[in-house]
Amino acid sequence: MPPATPTITPVVPEPVSSEGDGARHLANPLREGLRLERIPEPCTMVICGATGDLTGRKLGPALYNLMLGGFLPPEFTVVGFARRPMSDEAFREILRQGIDQFSRNKPVKRSVWDSFSKGIEYHAGEFHEPAAYVELAKKLDRIDRDRGTAGNRLFYLAVPPVLYPEIVKQLEAAGLAATGEERSDGKRGWVRVIVEKPFGSDITSARKLNRELGLALKEDQIYRIDHYLGKETVQNLAVFRFGNGLFEPIWNRRYIDSVQITVAETVGVEGRGEFYDQTGALRDIVQNHALQLMAMFALEPPVEFKASDLRDEKLKVLRAVKPMSASDVADNAIRGQYVSGWVEGAKMHAYRDEPEVNPESQTETFVALKLAIDSWRWAGVPFFLRTGKALPTRVTEIAVQFRRAPLALFARAGTPQIDPNILAIRIQPDEGILLRFGAKVPGQGLQIRSVNMDFRYGSSFAVDSPDAYETLLLDAMIGDASLFTRGDEVERAWEILDPLLRAWGQDRGGPLHFYGAGTWGPPAADELLERDGREWRRL
Amino acid sequence: MAPAVAGAGMAKSTKAERELAVHRRLMRFGDAETLATPMWEQRGTSVGEIEAELGRLWGVPEAGGGPEALVTEKGLPHARTSVLNLIVTVVDSAAADRVVQTMMSLGIRHPSRAIVLVADHEAGGNALDARISTHCHATPLSADERICYEEVVLTVRGEAAEHLAGVVAPLLIHDLPTFVWWPGDPPFAHLVFDQLVELADRLIVDTSDFADLLAGLRRLATLRHRSGVGDLAWERLSIWQERIAQFFDAPRFRRYLPNLNRMIIRYAVPSKGHRGRQVAEDPVHKVASPMAQAALLSGWLAARLNWRRYRTLDPLADGGFRLRLEGAYEMVELRIEPEVDDRLAPGELTSVHLRAYGETGAAEFIIDRAGDEATVATNADGMTALLRQVSMEPPDEAELLSQQLTANLRDPVYESALRAAAIFLGSARSAEAPTSEAQPVHVAQELGG
Repeated sequence: MPPATPTITPVVPEPVSSEGDGARHLANPLREGLRLERIPEPCTMVICGATGDLTGRKLGPALYNLMLGGFLPPEFTVVGFARRPMSDEAFREILRQGIDQFSRNKPVKRSVWDSFSKGIEYHAGEFHEPAAYVELAKKLDRIDRDRGTAGNRLFYLAVPPVLYPEIVKQLEAAGLAATGEERSDGKRGWVRVIVEKPFGSDITSARKLNRELGLALKEDQIYRIDHYLGKETVQNLAVFRFGNGLFEPIWNRRYIDSVQITVAETVGVEGRGEFYDQTGALRDIVQNHALQLMAMFALEPPVEFKASDLRDEKLKVLRAVKPMSASDVADNAIRGQYVSGWVEGAKMHAYRDEPEVNPESQTETFVALKLAIDSWRWAGVPFFLRTGKALPTRVTEIAVQFRRAPLALFARAGTPQIDPNILAIRIQPDEGILLRFGAKVPGQGLQIRSVNMDFRYGSSFAVDSPDAYETLLLDAMIGDASLFTRGDEVERAWEILDPLLRAWGQDRGGPLHFYGAGTWGPPAADELLERDGREWRRL
Repeated sequence: MAPAVAGAGMAKSTKAERELAVHRRLMRFGDAETLATPMWEQRGTSVGEIEAELGRLWGVPEAGGGPEALVTEKGLPHARTSVLNLIVTVVDSAAADRVVQTMMSLGIRHPSRAIVLVADHEAGGNALDARISTHCHATPLSADERICYEEVVLTVRGEAAEHLAGVVAPLLIHDLPTFVWWPGDPPFAHLVFDQLVELADRLIVDTSDFADLLAGLRRLATLRHRSGVGDLAWERLSIWQERIAQFFDAPRFRRYLPNLNRMIIRYAVPSKGHRGRQVAEDPVHKVASPMAQAALLSGWLAARLNWRRYRTLDPLADGGFRLRLEGAYEMVELRIEPEVDDRLAPGELTSVHLRAYGETGAAEFIIDRAGDEATVATNADGMTALLRQVSMEPPDEAELLSQQLTANLRDPVYESALRAAAIFLGSARSAEAPTSEAQPVHVAQELGG
């Protein structure tokens, strides 16, 4: 028998670290070994812009599912904050309907909802009106007293980004922004603010926004949400690389020939024409999702698997990506826009025929990029990124192409060139890992054919994975910022793309190519790789 | 569409060959609706034959399949993602069918090689009968993809039934963790038990099925080092553990934890003449030890909070007992009581009441269950009770098993709870409880520590 350890002794409550790293000390001895080791402290979540679409569609269902799963403490309280006057009851009804419609567990369970809804309130007020915040502060104080939420507050800014600075400024003025020791209201609870993407529209606006938020908040209070990273992906990538001894030794320029990152959507703009026409694929996908994936793929081993270390390493990768000079843009970046075609058996209109889209729009719906990471690990390894709308399949993956075998040992047998090995990390739709290698075709003679070794998460762990918002909201309440983007990362990503934005904004840097909906982008995107004797993976 | 697998030779092939061809196609292209196909059945067979058949099942289609079937990445032949070996031992074929039913819903989550052993060393006849079937399930992610696993039902008779390990070992997939699930009351005293546990990385039992709970708990607590132990009764408690832990997540309530002084755990028993809610639709299934969950929960809290046994207040009678334990600052009264409840399966907990002394009087932490829901209440700090309703749906057996298969092989928290439960039950049961001993014995030291 192992010596029966009189394990945990600290039953006296210990101060919980306010450091935003999720490295919370396991202060509750009963939590040891339980499946839910991560339980947030009691807190109030204030949804600014609570009457918007996001509340009913994503936030309400996410909170309800967290509550149903027992992840939220009983004291947890929601306060909806928006302009429209409304009773608590009416706001609860909005949430309930959203859950009934969009939750992965539905319909709402009467009894669970009854007790959950007691902790839902509504606060009407103008976002630029100081009095609204004073009232809000009073309400939050009362909630702290009545429901025991201990001054912990999570503000979710579900409003257009132009309102972020105003709201944050007002929060500060009302004494609602200070956290921990700095608070003047005698409480020691934490205050965190979640903001949605897009975070700026170029380097200048992103810097400005960071600066304005920074006037009232500290960086570790700001949680920039990128719902893409809320998928299991990030942890999986890290586990794949650092939880296995097999792959890390070959994860460098000696063995890897090139890397392809694909974020492909089959849909068009889906009624978001106005938004998309001002945004484009570069801002919508590349700046956040694609570059984050690349950073997660390429980063050096962090000292610890915690937010600050991870984000330091991601930033290092982004810093090593040299922004293109204006003259390089045409050589290394391809932009495209779809014209009408057939996707998944259905006719799709040209982008310019979409409602709310400028009929002469120059907005790109497809981007292919060749980037280089100038680090010891990656020097000379091209990273190819492509993303687009109205492509043939919906797929997100990172594919590593390894160097070919040094000698064509089997050349005489009629197999002049063996295909290179490929390791594909699929993120969407079904997460998995695929390794392609050459094998001898059985029989006389030596024929070599590529075969796949395929692993699917879905086949090995068929569990109902949580919605990205559930993961992210819970992380923010716990104070684990690993899956959120830090200010300097955001700025650096904009810096990388700045030359492209400038060039394309002035219609330089290569023409806007057109591609038929349902194809893999313009031929120019293929040429980008063919120049080096490579080709895009067929997906 | 996939090319016909067996080609022109199809017409002449035997029925079994045709079935095999269909099966391979199913596994490669996942375009059939079949769920379970009884593939191969042989009476009076040998381990070698079974081994060969398993190999054949996953082999390359010989004729007509063509290499083109191997290369496409999309219509990819299903890679065999086996993640574990699962050995299940049952007493008769009726129990085997029940187990197969449970595993049907499990296969998709745990692609495995499952071997169901029906052992009867008193029976005559063939030493070894075998039935191999495969199960294919659509995945929740994509309808046209299937996950397949195979299941071998072995009936072993006579002397061979005393040497099950030798029968099973050659059929396991190497290098994968092996789980032995032993539903019912395992023959702890028998050599076969030791043999199979020897093969296992983790043994899964259901302590509520033990005929002698105390003896069973003691035996589990002293299992050989290598095997981890899982317990479906423990798994049923996990929702209770979450709820109880939740009381003390808030720092202001956590300070009551060292000051707990009473814990009352009640569990459901059926009213006389009523059999209680049936478990897993199995008419023969009885809950032999309904107290198991309650005992384990008390053991869990005691082990987490370092409570030691102090004295027996009321020895075990009518399914209940009362002990005094020694906590960090307080003496703790532990009370376990049966409660008649025909809505719940016997042994399910009906309520947990915790009480502590605080600066402002007594604090109470209460979970009261009614059917699939529970009222959770905190009454502390002189505040009126914080009440809320939570869902308490008991998971079915497949779900419990699935959780057990995902867990780590060893679970130190369970092991310490098990030891403590065995000690409490032992004190409650023995007529001359060690009350006279002035020196309380530490829970952990008492059993094989």
